[in-house]
Amino acid sequence: MNIAPLLLYAAAAVGYAWHFGKRSSRAGRAATTMLAAAALVHTFIIGMQTTEVGHLPVVGTTGALSIFVWLSSIAYLYTETTSNERSMGVFIVPLLALLQIIPTVSRYQVVARPPVLESPWFALHVSSLLFAYASFALACVIGITYVLLFKELKAKHIGFFYDRLPSLQVLDVMNARAVTIGWTCLSVGLVVGGVWATQAQAEFSDPRVQAMSVLDPTIFVALLCWIVYSFELYARRAIGWTGWRTAWLSAIGFAIVLLNFLPIGYFLTRTHNF
Amino acid sequence: MSQLFLLGVSHHTAPVDLREQLDFARRGLPDALAAVIDRPACGEAVVLSTCNRAELYVRCDDAMETREDLVRFLGEFHDVDRESLAPHLYDFASVDVARHLFRVAAGLDSLVVGEPQILGQVKDAFTAASDAGCTGSLLNKLFHWSFATGKRVRSETELGQGAVSVSYAAVSLARKIFGSLSKHDVLLVGAGEMCELTAMHLRAQEVRRIAVASRTSGHATALADKVGGSALPWSEIEQTLATADIVVTATGSPTPIITRESIAAVMRTRRNRPLFIIDIAVPRDVEASAGAIEQVFLYNIDDLQGIVSENLARRSAQIARAEAIVAEEVDGFMAWLHSRRAVPTVVALRERFEAIRLAELKRLEGKLTPLTPADRARVEDVTRLIVEKLLLTPTERLKGLSSADTVRLYSEALGQLFDLESPRPAAQRPDDAVAEAEHPAAPKTSVTS
Repeated sequence: MNIAPLLLYAAAAVGYAWHFGKRSSRAGRAATTMLAAAALVHTFIIGMQTTEVGHLPVVGTTGALSIFVWLSSIAYLYTETTSNERSMGVFIVPLLALLQIIPTVSRYQVVARPPVLESPWFALHVSSLLFAYASFALACVIGITYVLLFKELKAKHIGFFYDRLPSLQVLDVMNARAVTIGWTCLSVGLVVGGVWATQAQAEFSDPRVQAMSVLDPTIFVALLCWIVYSFELYARRAIGWTGWRTAWLSAIGFAIVLLNFLPIGYFLTRTHNF
Repeated sequence: MSQLFLLGVSHHTAPVDLREQLDFARRGLPDALAAVIDRPACGEAVVLSTCNRAELYVRCDDAMETREDLVRFLGEFHDVDRESLAPHLYDFASVDVARHLFRVAAGLDSLVVGEPQILGQVKDAFTAASDAGCTGSLLNKLFHWSFATGKRVRSETELGQGAVSVSYAAVSLARKIFGSLSKHDVLLVGAGEMCELTAMHLRAQEVRRIAVASRTSGHATALADKVGGSALPWSEIEQTLATADIVVTATGSPTPIITRESIAAVMRTRRNRPLFIIDIAVPRDVEASAGAIEQVFLYNIDDLQGIVSENLARRSAQIARAEAIVAEEVDGFMAWLHSRRAVPTVVALRERFEAIRLAELKRLEGKLTPLTPADRARVEDVTRLIVEKLLLTPTERLKGLSSADTVRLYSEALGQLFDLESPRPAAQRPDDAVAEAEHPAAPKTSVTS
């Protein structure tokens, strides 16, 4: 894949780090510009790939990863503009730059999907899950910053994060919002995936389709994710969990998402390796 | 040669009662400006009057004479006798005026170093003077330069950051926990001075409700009236803990008033919403172990004082950086002041060239008569353009000179080469001639920039 988005993501990551460390608003503006440029170039490349194969290039983990990075950067940019808060960039953009290395250096080719994936369900399944994961990435980052600030305030030693982060309340609300959006998309993606897999099993004899069940690592871990985030939402509403507990849950949830993406997606799954 | 001059008093040199007497705002700033500009010695004037300083910035010819005149003026205007005034005055001339004003605008000369209001006050003082027509090219430049310096210091250093009083530190902590305070209630336990001060800061943040509880209900009512809250019976403290998010305690009680158990008990009703407790009483009013409850942020007077002294230390570490910026800007301003000395030579040079051009046109008058008016106008334009272009580089070079000696050298050489009349000092020229030399209304070609 073209190296331009990776370079721009990396430059944006450096910009956000500079902005956070030195509190330079000029570096912050430059970082945002760079990230917007990265997302734009990335959009263009994904658009090219889409016209090339006739559908979103999400077949296979590498393609999905690239779309995930793209969606996350857009979700982050949206959050940054609406909340007018640039301090979270340093926690998420470097991660995006790292993940983008995989589609950039791997020699993956966008290929047309096999007939089994030619279904509107497939597009809905993949895009809602990727959007869910992008939201969870944001929730995780917001959660981490919450914990950092919370610890400073509890220790009564205010300083580095105190000067740089928005208030606990703002972080808490942003976390809740990201988790709610992510959980909704995750639920839609899982239900659609289930319905579609049942249909496909009747139609195709592909072993990968036949192997789809709750016991497949990818599907199992995705359900685990759903349980974690459902619990977070429940705990928030019913038990009154706020703050650092829900922040930790978001971090754990996203760790599971990454686990699903990288080791499981590449090595373990028997069903999601098209 | 006209120069800058400053006479003033500030919190560094004068006690508060004298500063009060010298407050120009009391008598009306426009009157003061009109009175200063009327003094024969003052060409331009700005009056900066805040609760911590009263300063007169003027353009004048002779510093010593102007000083005498302004001291007399201050005494007469405010009805203060000279003897009680003189020991508290300070004065600066020329580039030292710029250094002083830049430090003032940057907040370096303030009582609380780095406080942000002063820049706005300097701007207001300048606007008032400029609206009254009391400023010209010199003070315009000086004050605009000071705004830029103040802004630079604010954005490039952390001079103005961090709370430097206990009560404000408490408020900024509250903001870090709750964000906007407009949906949060405050409970004050005790009705002392510290409670009042903190409550005033909180009210400025537009908290939703303030409740005051005191063992003496009269005190509670009095404080509640002052801060726009409501008085609360002493017995209702514990149940109010369930709804208030910010609690300030400052009673003289020898034993804790709020126990860990009572807080732990309300956390369930609060559904774990954060509770911020500011205990500024000595001995403490809230059991220290309450701080261990998960969503309770308990700060006592030492914690807050620790934050304040950390902030003060950080501010003083920033002072050197801010001073360096000021020094840099003073150098820039000084270079501009020097280059300004070239203005009379530039004006003389332009006048000389223009005179030659007009003389030549006059000499050719006879040959030019057959031309149509349009062609006549073209000849006029072309000759003017030639003169402008010839003068473009020399003008720019002259104004770019930054040392006074070089300016003098060049001026002498040019005077000899072009047989210029020894240029009159800028001060004696009408201001528009100087302004003309700085921004000539040149035809289309930009002669200076």
